[in-house]
Amino acid sequence: MAALSRQDANQLRATLQDAVVKCSERCLYQSAKWAAELATSLPSTGDLTPDSDTDPDSPMENVEQFPPPVPIVVTSNSDPEEARLESQEINKYLLAKSYFDCREYDRCAAVFLPSNIPRGPLSTTSPNNKTATTTNNAKGKSRETGRGAPGASILPKNTLPRLSQKALFLALYAKYMSGEKRKDEESEMVLGPADGGMTTNRELVGISRAIEGWLTDKMNKKMQETSQGWLEYLYGIVLAKGKNEEDAKRWLINSIRRCPFNWGAWLELSELVGSVEELQSTMTELPQNIMAYIYHLYASQELYQSTEQIHQRLTDLERIFPESQFLKTQRALLFYHSKDFDEAESIFSNLLHADPHRIDALDHYSNILYVMSARPKLAFLAQLATATDKFRPETCCVVGNYYSLKSEHEKAVMCFRRALTLDRNFLSAWTLMGHEYVEMKNTHAAIESYRRAVDVNRKDYRAWYGLGQTYEVLEMHLYALFYYQRAASLRPYDPKMWQAVGSCYDKVGRPVQSIKAYKRALLAGTYYDSGSSFGSGATNAEPPHSILDPETLYQIALMHEKLDDREEAASYMEMTLAQEEGPGGDDDDDDDDEARGPGTGVTNTTSKARMWLARWEFSKGRLEKAMELANELCQDGVEVEEAKALIRDLRARMEKEKA
Amino acid sequence: MRGEIGLLALVSLYADSVVPTAATIPLLSFLVSHVLPGDAPKHLNGVDEPARKFAVVIDDFQKATITHASGIPGRTLWDLFLKKLWEINSLDALHVFFDALSLLLVKTREERQKDAENGVVQASDKVLLSWTSPLGAFVKRAQLKFTRLQFHDRITLWKAFVTYREPTLGMWKRRNPAAGKTSFDTNLQDDNLPMMGRLIDVVYGDLTDGERQEADVSTDDVERILEFQLNEMQKMGTRLSEDMKSQFKNMIQAGVTVPSLNHYVKFLDSWRAGDYPSSFDNLHRYFDYTMHNRDRTFYQYALLNLAILQADFGCVTEALDAVHETISTARENKDMECLNFSLSWLYHFGKAHPRDISQAQKTGVLGGEKEALVILKAKAKDAGMWSLLSTSLLSEAKLALTNGDSVTLAFETITKSSHLNVTYNIINVIGSQMMMQASVFARLGVTSLAWSYGEIFLQCYADQSPVEDVLNCICKSAYSLSQRGRYDEAIARMDEIDRDTLRILKHHQYWTVYSGLLKLQRQLHKDHLVAAEHLLDQLRGSSSNPEINFTLALLEIDLLTRRGDYSTAMGMLEKLSTRLNDEAADIYQRVKVMTLKARLLDKAGIPQKGFSVALRAASLAHKARLLPALWEAVGAVSRVLISLDEFEASAKLLASIMPQVLECEECDLTAHFFAYLADAHMGMAGQAKAGTPKRKEQMAKALEYLGQSFDEFSKLEDVKGQCEMLAKKATIMRFNGDMLLANDCAAQYLDIKRAAKENA
Repeated sequence: MAALSRQDANQLRATLQDAVVKCSERCLYQSAKWAAELATSLPSTGDLTPDSDTDPDSPMENVEQFPPPVPIVVTSNSDPEEARLESQEINKYLLAKSYFDCREYDRCAAVFLPSNIPRGPLSTTSPNNKTATTTNNAKGKSRETGRGAPGASILPKNTLPRLSQKALFLALYAKYMSGEKRKDEESEMVLGPADGGMTTNRELVGISRAIEGWLTDKMNKKMQETSQGWLEYLYGIVLAKGKNEEDAKRWLINSIRRCPFNWGAWLELSELVGSVEELQSTMTELPQNIMAYIYHLYASQELYQSTEQIHQRLTDLERIFPESQFLKTQRALLFYHSKDFDEAESIFSNLLHADPHRIDALDHYSNILYVMSARPKLAFLAQLATATDKFRPETCCVVGNYYSLKSEHEKAVMCFRRALTLDRNFLSAWTLMGHEYVEMKNTHAAIESYRRAVDVNRKDYRAWYGLGQTYEVLEMHLYALFYYQRAASLRPYDPKMWQAVGSCYDKVGRPVQSIKAYKRALLAGTYYDSGSSFGSGATNAEPPHSILDPETLYQIALMHEKLDDREEAASYMEMTLAQEEGPGGDDDDDDDDEARGPGTGVTNTTSKARMWLARWEFSKGRLEKAMELANELCQDGVEVEEAKALIRDLRARMEKEKA
Repeated sequence: MRGEIGLLALVSLYADSVVPTAATIPLLSFLVSHVLPGDAPKHLNGVDEPARKFAVVIDDFQKATITHASGIPGRTLWDLFLKKLWEINSLDALHVFFDALSLLLVKTREERQKDAENGVVQASDKVLLSWTSPLGAFVKRAQLKFTRLQFHDRITLWKAFVTYREPTLGMWKRRNPAAGKTSFDTNLQDDNLPMMGRLIDVVYGDLTDGERQEADVSTDDVERILEFQLNEMQKMGTRLSEDMKSQFKNMIQAGVTVPSLNHYVKFLDSWRAGDYPSSFDNLHRYFDYTMHNRDRTFYQYALLNLAILQADFGCVTEALDAVHETISTARENKDMECLNFSLSWLYHFGKAHPRDISQAQKTGVLGGEKEALVILKAKAKDAGMWSLLSTSLLSEAKLALTNGDSVTLAFETITKSSHLNVTYNIINVIGSQMMMQASVFARLGVTSLAWSYGEIFLQCYADQSPVEDVLNCICKSAYSLSQRGRYDEAIARMDEIDRDTLRILKHHQYWTVYSGLLKLQRQLHKDHLVAAEHLLDQLRGSSSNPEINFTLALLEIDLLTRRGDYSTAMGMLEKLSTRLNDEAADIYQRVKVMTLKARLLDKAGIPQKGFSVALRAASLAHKARLLPALWEAVGAVSRVLISLDEFEASAKLLASIMPQVLECEECDLTAHFFAYLADAHMGMAGQAKAGTPKRKEQMAKALEYLGQSFDEFSKLEDVKGQCEMLAKKATIMRFNGDMLLANDCAAQYLDIKRAAKENA
């Protein structure tokens, strides 16, 4: 995709500007912010103004130069009916909007909707529920679903007064927000007794019914086309909250089709997508436009797909939006996922210089700095974030990470708790808090934190992995295995995950599976090094074209030993030893010795392997070989005592044999 | 606290053993003078530093270190110190710096064991600080303080430190040419991006704005200053001086978090200023903020303060209620200190307001006065509150004196108190102890000793004692001066008082009333009765001090007597006497009233009526060893004798006590006694046959005494007395036939009268 022509750029900008105004009219602040940022990141047209002077007829240029006088308050509506309604209720609308801006959600909703929408868990006993006809409601067993999708009534009546869609959306959205606020209030302390998903948004039922009724009404009147997509978006959110994911996805896509520039809808959709396959299948249903393109990139990033292809897509997008901080952040995150920390760090650092007041995604930056152990930088980042806003969850996470790096875990936990008090759905904080609790040996709290993280976002492999680790500490290996598997499925190319799975299989006494998992780990390890997917045939003893993790090899060998396949075990032990010199030292391909880096050198693991081999040779009666290995051991200075004992035995045997 | 970073850096420099032997002592004394709280030596270099600096400025470091070479050749200590400071080049480095502080300390046993297990060997060239040494404690405390800081507070500290260090950039550059404008934070040096400016703006924006003053004082500094101020105010009973007040205002405006102690200081200040509503307000505000500080409840202190405050503003019953509540709360909370203090306060309050307390409650917590003192003494001893014990002893002495008990007992307790004061260095009680001693001597009629005690106090202890004591002493000595007729000196003495003392309303009132008394006395003597009455009207009811009220009453009676309104005077006297008896007032006052009664009766021409009262007064005064009062009573008896024509007895009586009377140095008393003597001798002359040498001799004696009496009255500027003496003199002279001399006297008489009238 090449950079856009001027005309296209201007059109895109106008569309985005329109989206900003529309979103802020509906109090979708984050989406508005996103769109506005994107609009400004288009290449500047400042140098083009002389052109527009000479070409006053072009309407687009006019927009650039003389912004329309009132668009901030009200955008014109192309639908005459809607426009009529909107102009009628403009007074009320302005009132409602100001209430919303002052965070008086109930009052805002009451401007348009006198409180006649039922609330609370009524729906579970509602007779309508039993006579459900909509088949979409497949997962209707859970209570959540019962509440979230009560739209299953036979003929949901449109109970709403006759209002414009904008007013309707604002009122219902205010109701939703008030419900969320109340839910947070009821949850009380973070990780307290009332905080554990028991509290729900009580407004969901009412909102869902209202929209359901409205939508059916439209359908009955064959006027679906007049719908503008905003209510569908809200309906999607409500359904997603009720765990009715398929429906939610359907309606969100519906909303996106009608109103593609609402980034919030895309975000919701990406949260519902759990795997790459799912992503691919939803992509087909989506309109093919720039937003879908950005969405695909974002969703892939969230799914840890840092392939060449994705990078290429990102590069394409950056050609259109050269200044976009959002895209740069995505790039940095992609590097982070592929563990290229230096690259990610430098991108973030540049972002920081470009806009020091920007706090978004700084928590990821702090994670990167944490992994790099860059304490001064991390402290500086914390200082910067604190200077801008002390009470943003991102800031709290940065500070928490700094404390964690200084091994002040209690203080770190305090910071993360603060972050969560500010925003209970702040994923990073849950996971990081879990890590801290593990450090503090508070496994119970750690498990709960990780669990909450996973509940917020199922795609967070770190939380899954953490859960597994915690259970492993508790010696509940079967349980741990499950979580490790989840983590491994999210990060199939991360050897750490597979190693964990392998060791768990070992602990529960299933060496065959363990070997398989370890082999996956080997494979994954090479994947990152060579940068391409390597053949699946790691089962044969052929060493891959790079250093293998000796520890994994050693473990595989031990597994084989457990299976009484000692020959196989011995061959893996040999491979472990081979890693000392690196692949170049191996018999197979001497040709690219220089190309490969040196081996791992003598490590504890290789020494253990050597010891094992020496004993094995000894038992096989190949005394010379055993002697040689034992001597090497003595030279390396690891496990000298045992090696010396072995040598003594060997000598004795040799003497005897000679005799 | 950022000054502390400098000190810490210096400590670590010292611990690194780069300080040569020659510089060790100056360095350590510099450190110690800043590290030790409070009483660091004031005259460090023999130079008087008027205001000891609470915060160390970077220049101080420079002065202290730049002259000393270090263990590293070519570098002064100052260079090394700068290096230490500039090595703290980021927020993280600050953290590292504080973490590394624990390395300066001697390791604990466990740590040493751990080290031994891990095979860590101690570096031998390091000076390790013991935990209990001043430096060690300082280091530990600083580290602890830092650990407790919130993250953003640490950032504030860091920024404050950056500004603090900034002036040394030039000097640092000299050794390190690489240092630049942004070298204060290593994170800003890494890459020279064009956008750097914006980043600096966000992170250090408030530093470059030039608003540097903000961080000039830390909360810690302010708290220390406030504590010091409070201590001063409480110990000395002074107010905030004006310039101090404005300084505080500046500090608070600078935006540091002001500790709640501020409210207490404000409370004291407004209380002393007599601003009842705002002192009340501030007191409540302070205790609202500090009711539960450091796991202790301060309720009883709040109540105690309230009681004192209310008592000060005359709400006696409320004050009593409050103090009773204090006592019971203190008992409940087992706060012995507060309990003892409040009991002692209640005792003194009862002494000061005998009427109110007897109305408000008869059955006090303390029982009778003696029991009260016994309780107080025992409690003070148990709790080791020596100053309380000392004051209790003084109270005991006072009680013994007022009850007219043995003087030796009083001396004993005073000596005990003095011993305590010396042993435990309780300087602020010394004032009252010396005053007590002076008053004992005054009661014994040894005025010169009493006077010198007062002078010693003013000379030696005035600047370390509560201003109230100083004021008291000054007033007393002025009064004593005025009794000797040295009015101008007395007024000068009154003016000696520090202006700041008078900024306290209570003291100002006391001072005014006392000055008024002195003036009133003078006017009375000058026979300016109208002016005197005017003054009296102004003074009446302006003080609740029983002593002043008593003096005032005496002066009023004097005025009435001078007017010749004897019956009213007598009525007042009777009232005064019953009141004093009711209150079980000071025996001195009671005797004085009795003597006065006898004198009044004498003036009214019926001296015999006063015989029994005069005798009773004399015997009471004798028993209580109230010698001046005794002489006065004896004088009254002699008047009775004269009226009974027992001139010789009278003269004998008078002559025998005359030396002691002269010792009292009271002009009024002496003048009267000389007059009495003259009368007695005149009477004796009358009894002798006319023309006999005896008569002549007596007449000459009478004349001589009249002359002496006249001199004393002149000292007092007492017009009436002077005139009376002159008239008597003239009469005797005329009787002697010395017309010329008699005329002279008469002329003098007229002159004095005229002068008095003209002045009036």
